Amino acid sequence: MLKAVVGFVVGILVVAAGGFMAMPHLMFNETASPFGFEETIARIQHNIADNPVLQEKGWALSGLRNPAKAVQNDGGNVLPVQMIEVCSTKYSGPILKEDTVRFLSILMPCKISIYKKQDGKVYIGTMNAGLMGKFFGPLVGETMGHVAEDQKLFLHFDPNTPAPQIILPAAPAAGGGAGGGGGGC
Amino acid sequence: MSLAKLVRVLAVTAGMVLAANAAQANTDPAPAAPAEKKASTSTADHSKFKELQENFATGPDVTKACLKCHTEAAKQIMHTKHWTWEYLNPQTNQLLGKKHIINNFCTSISSNQEFCTACHIGYGWKDDKFDFSNQDNVDCLVCHDTTGTYRKLPGYAGHPPYKDTEAPAGSGFIVKAVDLKAVAQGVGKTSRKTCGSCHFLGGGGDAVKHGDLDTTLTNPSKYLDVHMAKDGLNFTCATCHETDGHNVPGSRYTPVADDTTPHIRGKKNADPETCQSCHTAAPHKHNARLNTHAVVIACQTCHIPEFARGQPTKMSWDWSTAGKLDKDGKPIRIKDSSGHHDSYDSRKGNFRYESNVIPEYIWFNGKVEYTLRETKLDPTKVVKINTLEGSPTDGKSKIWPIKRFTGKQPYDVGNNQLVVFHTYGKDDSALWTNFNWDKALEYGMKEIGAQYSGKYAFVETEYSWPTTHMVAPKGDALTCAQCHQPSIGVGRLDKVPGIYMPGRRANALLNTAGWAIAALCLLGVLVHGAGRIYASRKGAHK
Repeated sequence: MLKAVVGFVVGILVVAAGGFMAMPHLMFNETASPFGFEETIARIQHNIADNPVLQEKGWALSGLRNPAKAVQNDGGNVLPVQMIEVCSTKYSGPILKEDTVRFLSILMPCKISIYKKQDGKVYIGTMNAGLMGKFFGPLVGETMGHVAEDQKLFLHFDPNTPAPQIILPAAPAAGGGAGGGGGGC
Repeated sequence: MSLAKLVRVLAVTAGMVLAANAAQANTDPAPAAPAEKKASTSTADHSKFKELQENFATGPDVTKACLKCHTEAAKQIMHTKHWTWEYLNPQTNQLLGKKHIINNFCTSISSNQEFCTACHIGYGWKDDKFDFSNQDNVDCLVCHDTTGTYRKLPGYAGHPPYKDTEAPAGSGFIVKAVDLKAVAQGVGKTSRKTCGSCHFLGGGGDAVKHGDLDTTLTNPSKYLDVHMAKDGLNFTCATCHETDGHNVPGSRYTPVADDTTPHIRGKKNADPETCQSCHTAAPHKHNARLNTHAVVIACQTCHIPEFARGQPTKMSWDWSTAGKLDKDGKPIRIKDSSGHHDSYDSRKGNFRYESNVIPEYIWFNGKVEYTLRETKLDPTKVVKINTLEGSPTDGKSKIWPIKRFTGKQPYDVGNNQLVVFHTYGKDDSALWTNFNWDKALEYGMKEIGAQYSGKYAFVETEYSWPTTHMVAPKGDALTCAQCHQPSIGVGRLDKVPGIYMPGRRANALLNTAGWAIAALCLLGVLVHGAGRIYASRKGAHK
């Protein structure tokens, strides 16, 4: 009997440890881009800005932020990283109206991070909106589920189309500064 | 603290990490900076020289005036590669230099001299009849201008604009005529700007050829280049490339891969531009482990973590797509995603630019073999324009970072040789005028008197460039973990053969399992030890 209990407890501990270690990978997605740094940014931006389905859902680019800029200005060495900010008021509105989940405004606007790593490859980092939404009740869960579906369209690349140009924000964002207007959030 | 971290801490405590001493950051002080000059210390004010008071009509007129006092200067220049564009490599016996090699950028100066010699240290080289023995043809101003107004434009055979000139033609951008008198009266030492006027723009534009040399080095930050930083050591190019009789040391044809006879500054040495010339072969005074690395790893490998850190550099050039025109028959240019560079130009084909490039790493012993025009090539394989030789066993090689530039360029299908083609000219055969490859190739090959089968195709090529500039501050050098315990799984030197390197590749699961076993071992030792102590004390009490 004692052995069974000990085994059960050890099993729980192992599962808990495994879950704890896997959590960071579950909350965020990272995929390698088949394109160069600037081209990846531009393609994602145009996937969002030029897609009528996404436009119908209220998606709009709201900024392009370079978090490495401030570090570089301070004399630091940081490989390129840019964050595309994108928002849909159709999704953000209901959450911002509900007091119990208004704190989730810290996740707005949605961000897609494009960065280079030491292997020389370009990566795309996104939040696992579908999973995160499930922690915050039905309203957020449903909304974030839609966001997760739309995120797939953000990152659907057609290599046969020519590389577009980066859409620069109206007011260029310097490290930590405003990202510029255009979006709904 | 996460479980993984706890496990690691325990294991480190057990002293089971043999490589830990390699993780210590280098904290050695940098060599003292040369004193910054606040004012000119020259004993001559050229603006007061009567020889320089006239209104010069041409560059050679200025040179005549210079040579009245600097009687040996032109003779010295004429012995240098800057003048001859020719170099006989004693290691390989190959005749190299811009006059002879075919690269995979603009390919060859032959039949295009009038355009390319904007970067020649002379005036008037527009064809094979150029007089290399005429001292008046030496251009003193291109290196010694301090006004920042002297400029040579492609297409004028090395002459600066003597009247206001639209350049490039049709652009609407007017380049002012150079004031030769003002430039001549303001001559001084070379600067980053004067050297950079050619070397930053090699290969047909800013940051094209070299990944580690571009116009961002004119006034670089400390992060971009710790030696040249305008608010730091403020080195000019000549600080390292210490010139002797107008001969500038440092060569892409015979680079020094391992300076085994480093000198102390002030003594004569053939290679004052090497890192060892100032830093010695054992520069890490407080970390012997790093010095053992320096025996086989070039300084540049760790201290230039990425190149093109100031702006993107061109990484590939595909000539095979050149010649596409719009519906009106006009040449087109298409910007890349950044909006700053062309991804396509009808005159030149397709390009690809990249910034913050992680170098490739190879063994290199300083010997470079070129594929010359006469060399027979295998078109089914990538043709190496140059081959940097080296191996882990020859005792002369070090691991070097390189930029590998790829391209596609025409070759003679009948003879399996690289070809020369006529790009620039006002005649009907120039590629950039009529976009006709057949005419351009026939003209180019005829110009050099070489046999041409009349049939061409395009072959893939690559050109390797040892990376030596854009040295980062020591805090930005590669860390041990970037080779020995790479967080992304593959270390920087993963593809370098012939070395034993712990932690070359990382597998998160395997690492965790290893650390866990180590921690359990430690735990076992501690528990066992504690048990023994407890038992012995218990025994003593009895």
